[in-house]
Amino acid sequence: MSQDLSQSPTAMSPEPLRPMPKRRGFFRQLIHDRPQAAVGLAIVGALALIAIFAPLLTKYDPYVSTRELRQPPSAQHWLGTDDGGFDMVTLLMYGTRTSMIIGLAASFVSMFLGGAAGITAGYFGGRIDGAIMRTADFFLVIPEVPLMVILAAIFGQSLIIIILVIGVLLWAGTARVIRAQVKSVRERVYVKRTRSLGAGNNRIIFRHILPQVGPLLVANTVLVVAVAIFDETFISFLGLGDPSKVSLGKLIENAFQAGSASRGEWWMLVPPGVVVTLLILGCTLFGQALEDALNPRLKVSYLSVRSFTIRRGISENKGEA
Amino acid sequence: MSDGSRLLDVRDLNVWFDLGNDRTLHAVQNVSFTMDAGRRFGLVGESGCGKTTSILAVMGLLPPSATVSGQIILNGEDIMAEGEKTIRSHRWNDIAMIFQGAMNALNPVKRVGHQIVEPMELHGYAEGEAAEKRSRELLDLVGIPPDRADRFPHELSGGMRQRAAIAMSLACEPKILLADEPTTALDVMVQAQILRLLVSLSDDLGLALVLVTHDLPAVSEVCQDAAVMYAGEIVETGTMDELFHDPKHPYTRLLFAATPDLFGDEQVLSIAGSPPRLDEPLVGCPFCPRCDSDFARCVHERPVLRELSFGHLAACHLNDIAEQT
Amino acid sequence: MKRSRGEYIAKRLFFAFVTVFVIITLNFFLFRLVPGSPLNRLAGPRASVEDRNRLRQEFGLDDSVFKQYTAYLNQVAHGNLGLSYRNSEPVVSVVWDKLKISIPMVLLGEAFAIIFGIITGVIAAARRRTWFDRGSTTAALIFYSFPTQWFGMMMILFFAPPFPSGGRTDFFASYTGVAYLLDVLKHMVLPSLTLGLVLYGEYTLIVRSAMLESLGEDYVLTARAKGLPRRRIIWRHAFRNALLPVVTLVALSLAYVVAGSVLVETVFSWPGIGYDFYQAVFADDWPVMQAILLILTLFVVFGNLIADLMLFKLDPRVTE
Repeated sequence: MSQDLSQSPTAMSPEPLRPMPKRRGFFRQLIHDRPQAAVGLAIVGALALIAIFAPLLTKYDPYVSTRELRQPPSAQHWLGTDDGGFDMVTLLMYGTRTSMIIGLAASFVSMFLGGAAGITAGYFGGRIDGAIMRTADFFLVIPEVPLMVILAAIFGQSLIIIILVIGVLLWAGTARVIRAQVKSVRERVYVKRTRSLGAGNNRIIFRHILPQVGPLLVANTVLVVAVAIFDETFISFLGLGDPSKVSLGKLIENAFQAGSASRGEWWMLVPPGVVVTLLILGCTLFGQALEDALNPRLKVSYLSVRSFTIRRGISENKGEA
Repeated sequence: MSDGSRLLDVRDLNVWFDLGNDRTLHAVQNVSFTMDAGRRFGLVGESGCGKTTSILAVMGLLPPSATVSGQIILNGEDIMAEGEKTIRSHRWNDIAMIFQGAMNALNPVKRVGHQIVEPMELHGYAEGEAAEKRSRELLDLVGIPPDRADRFPHELSGGMRQRAAIAMSLACEPKILLADEPTTALDVMVQAQILRLLVSLSDDLGLALVLVTHDLPAVSEVCQDAAVMYAGEIVETGTMDELFHDPKHPYTRLLFAATPDLFGDEQVLSIAGSPPRLDEPLVGCPFCPRCDSDFARCVHERPVLRELSFGHLAACHLNDIAEQT
Repeated sequence: MKRSRGEYIAKRLFFAFVTVFVIITLNFFLFRLVPGSPLNRLAGPRASVEDRNRLRQEFGLDDSVFKQYTAYLNQVAHGNLGLSYRNSEPVVSVVWDKLKISIPMVLLGEAFAIIFGIITGVIAAARRRTWFDRGSTTAALIFYSFPTQWFGMMMILFFAPPFPSGGRTDFFASYTGVAYLLDVLKHMVLPSLTLGLVLYGEYTLIVRSAMLESLGEDYVLTARAKGLPRRRIIWRHAFRNALLPVVTLVALSLAYVVAGSVLVETVFSWPGIGYDFYQAVFADDWPVMQAILLILTLFVVFGNLIADLMLFKLDPRVTE
């Protein structure tokens, strides 16, 4: 996943929304204008529910083998079992749980770091801005995944470490987006007015800038969740995930180690990938739609496939000569 | 009066925009005007009155959400008959256009000279050396040093870019030039230069010019006659003298009175209120709510554009009363 | 207002150097965090006594931290990055060999992604809101969301019978000349295709977005007013402008290409640098891991530099 999420790739809606009229109205409008937001939200929501209620939804324990190895799907095991005899459906549910936790937590870390960096850079400008942005550029240029891998290899394989490692390396994209927004918000008249009234920096930042920038931060963070989930699969694939937890990345890695692809054991391979795809897809759809709505940049296109229509016949109200 | 030698004859032009949800906006209503060689015609009105849409329609540059009816007769041929198909071949050869904010009308990654040459070559008008030579001549004609042909648009000032756009529009020797707010966003001195340029081009080359603007002093300086548009329709047409000194429609009168008089002590009048919505059917005179001379008839009967004296038309019930008395 | 190309390049080169320098320094400090003795981090348990002594000398392991740092920098500058744990070969030569194997496959995949991405993106934008647009955007999103390693395995699942499921050449045959090349190509198809398909989605979306922005600009309306043919307007006017953000973003996505190549090579056992990284991680082969990080960073930095140069050439407005 490319880290620079400041472009809006899924610009599919005809008109930009007015920025944030009312909370409730905003969501309804968003879903009306951009149905893909609803689709994305629905997908992620459904998977989240499954993840949360996993223990209630399955009778198997993901850490206890049923001793029926590599079984294809059957009535008892809807998606069969893996090479260790664990029920695939159960593994999927618990794996989704872990992956989503990692994704959310890591993106929170990145949201705080990126948000703070972006606001600071955008608000204070000058040298501070330069320094922060150079650092961000640096983080964007370094291939973060090999670095993540090395860090994970050094610092150990606990869940927390993984979360921190992912989060710390993903802040740069968010920082850039937020910085741009802060710069434009800062110019607005009322902020200047507040300043002239003697308000301190903190007050301005928290009272005025943060609320304006908040929604965009959230939108961007949703997109970061998608990247974080992908990064988790990468780290797990290289055997560096938390060995005590089941995650979707681990399931994919397991399928690889067990040679499921060559053995045609699709039930071990296909489902975890599908779930990861759905998660990433859902987050991307929703996050992008949200970002587009908050950051309207769309114009009409002057070139299109269809042409204007000609109406023949007599028009009304002919003027008298 | 239909004269076969008219250069351009626009008849009953109507444009509707589809707004979705089964709503349409009737942006241009029964607009008609004619052009002859060397004539300069103004199309004035507030923003949103339909003047830009009208000339875009003449060029066939409306978006797919638009529906058009009417005739656009160029040299005896109705180029609107088949829409895009028939209009396309006339673009730039016969009719050219300069847009509002020419700063952006030029492609930032291509050299100025190339942008003038391109239509020449594609329309088979000239090519290679000859085309380049002509492009330099055109730049000279509009007052730009010919060596600027090798520059990029961002290297030129705003005024120069507008001139370059004019030079570009003349590339294939069109007979008609449609100018949409050519002086907006330019400073006053440059505005005057551009307007003088347009007048001289019209005089020297016999170019027919349609000047679309809300800048009344500009129109009075450049054009011989003009049409005033309100809410999508023409409410008065006449010579500049008639419009200024003998307006037959309250809107025209108020509009011209609202022009700031730099040298006199007249108050600047502005017309209170705003134009009617064009996505709903209109009853009565569209100007009635803002009119200072309206009466009972204005509320439910729509006035019709009538010729009051030779070449002077207006759409106002007041003129009926004047006639009757 | 002539722009100075020299200044532009110099600035970019400077930043590139700084980045590489920081990574090297980072590597040095990371080294120190690895459990075990410093010598073991450089040579591994199987190295000979002579090698170990030599390394101890070269990297100044008996001196202060600062001296070790300067010694490290010195060695890196000379291309000495220690010995690989797994076979006690100099890291640099090991990695260099693998690099030569990675490049054709990655290049093929990336080229496919860029070309296919551009074409679908431009057409989608030009045919906005038609079935083509919706279809290709949806497809792009879906492919973008596929986890690379999983997609590779899916390719094996579906296409491995006709195509080889791994490796670079047929282990049992011994081809030479053209037959050898064809065999390599046959093995390259699935991994390159996997990489390409996983990458192209993002490019499509970026290109489409940039094109839509371009197509809304006044110069496109002007081009239409000039009576220019549609195809010309799309490619020579709109795309030419859209190219600018596209080049920038493709450069930024190089980091992702790198990640993708590691995964693809591992899944297909393609014996390149990515696969080597995977094996190094499993074997705790620190020198190789860090060397590969360095090399991959160099790639991304280099790619960005090329992109900056292209941007300078393509956009006459760029000055700094």
